[in-house]
Amino acid sequence: MDTSLATEPLTPRDYKSDIKPVWCPGCGDFSVLGSITTALAELQLAPENVAVVSGIGCSSRIPAYANCYGFHGVHGRSLALGTGLKVARPELTVLVASGDGDGFSIGGNHFLHACRRNIDVTYIVMDNRVYGMTKGQPSPTTEPDWADSALAPSGTGLRPFHPLVIALASGANFVARAFSGDILGTAELITEAIRHEGFSFVEILSPCVTFRPDEREWRNMVHTASVEPTDDPSRAARRIMTDDGFNTGILYRGDRQAYTPLTADGTPADPAVFEQEFEL
Amino acid sequence: MSEATEITVVQMLARAYAIEREAQSRYADLADQMQVHNNTELAELFGKLAEIEGKHAAKIKSRTAGAELPYISPLAYRWPGAEAPENVDISVAHYLMTPHHALKMALAGEQRAVEYFQDLTDRAADPDARALAEEFVEEEREHVELVKKWLEKYPEPEEGWDEDHDPPVIQE
Repeated sequence: MDTSLATEPLTPRDYKSDIKPVWCPGCGDFSVLGSITTALAELQLAPENVAVVSGIGCSSRIPAYANCYGFHGVHGRSLALGTGLKVARPELTVLVASGDGDGFSIGGNHFLHACRRNIDVTYIVMDNRVYGMTKGQPSPTTEPDWADSALAPSGTGLRPFHPLVIALASGANFVARAFSGDILGTAELITEAIRHEGFSFVEILSPCVTFRPDEREWRNMVHTASVEPTDDPSRAARRIMTDDGFNTGILYRGDRQAYTPLTADGTPADPAVFEQEFEL
Repeated sequence: MSEATEITVVQMLARAYAIEREAQSRYADLADQMQVHNNTELAELFGKLAEIEGKHAAKIKSRTAGAELPYISPLAYRWPGAEAPENVDISVAHYLMTPHHALKMALAGEQRAVEYFQDLTDRAADPDARALAEEFVEEEREHVELVKKWLEKYPEPEEGWDEDHDPPVIQE
């Protein structure tokens, strides 16, 4: 990583690594990478002060493609890693990246508790309603009647997981939905999510053009939320539960104070003290 | 008629420069995608387009006579569309796409750039800025004609161009 001191403003390109993504051309995750790098450039965050942490799946390859610190973790554990990192290094901007399989299935429990703990991290989930990396199995957010999978030829018949309302009910401080095809609109939401104190959750509808070519149609289905963000969770919940799933924008912006680890006497914990405890 | 704009010459140069740099970056990304997916013909074509956009950007920069262009943050441009006008839509890429598809994308990008500067020509209050916008309209029109000519070499492929009988990823 180039950590030389920049004299010129950083551009989105400066936050991209030299590694060429291996996603399928047309994949929404390319655009999400563009939105993340644009958000970082908008905020002019020094790459050495940013970390992108992920789990497993197509979307979780993102740390390799970003020019900042990164950690490609294990399946479903991106939030556990991100939480640990933020607590140990509170000065870092921590972005946690995941997909709908990684984040809501094996990682579902971490999701609930990350929302509840309200650590100041930004959680970006690229939701394509399918397990892409393992070749097209239904995920927790897949529609019950999606029948194009060899694993569930008649569809799963199961009610999809509703990440936004779960996040809200669990205590997330910022809840937004974006569409990958709107690169700058998504960058704006990620920028706001990073700025917002506490646990910020951005669900990005990100088409899988290989196993869900029907999702190319999302472009014609998304629409910007017609109402201002609310800080009233019950109002936000009603909106989220009754919208068509393609409403984009900030859907809830709370004011709960982010979690800060405290020592027994109530003062903020010093990470250096933790480090001493773990010294061999 | 749309509202007049107070855009200055340097602000317009900064925008024109950003448009070309963004297009360069987008084509470079697409060249990488095609290279990764062994579509070497398209990798070369997108690489060439990136190179051309880089030259356009350098040409605009040379007009500033060494003066610094004002910094505009990525979200402050407020482009009229979803992105900078010349950016081609990355979401329509396909690993089997042909030069015809790539050049059609490029043509649409150049046409959006014409519209963008035409709008500024119509709305710029400052006469110097308006004259510069007119110049850019002419330049972008030239680019449109060049891409059209290029496109003549690559007729539309027959239906089924995206069918792959041995796809790299197949559901198991």
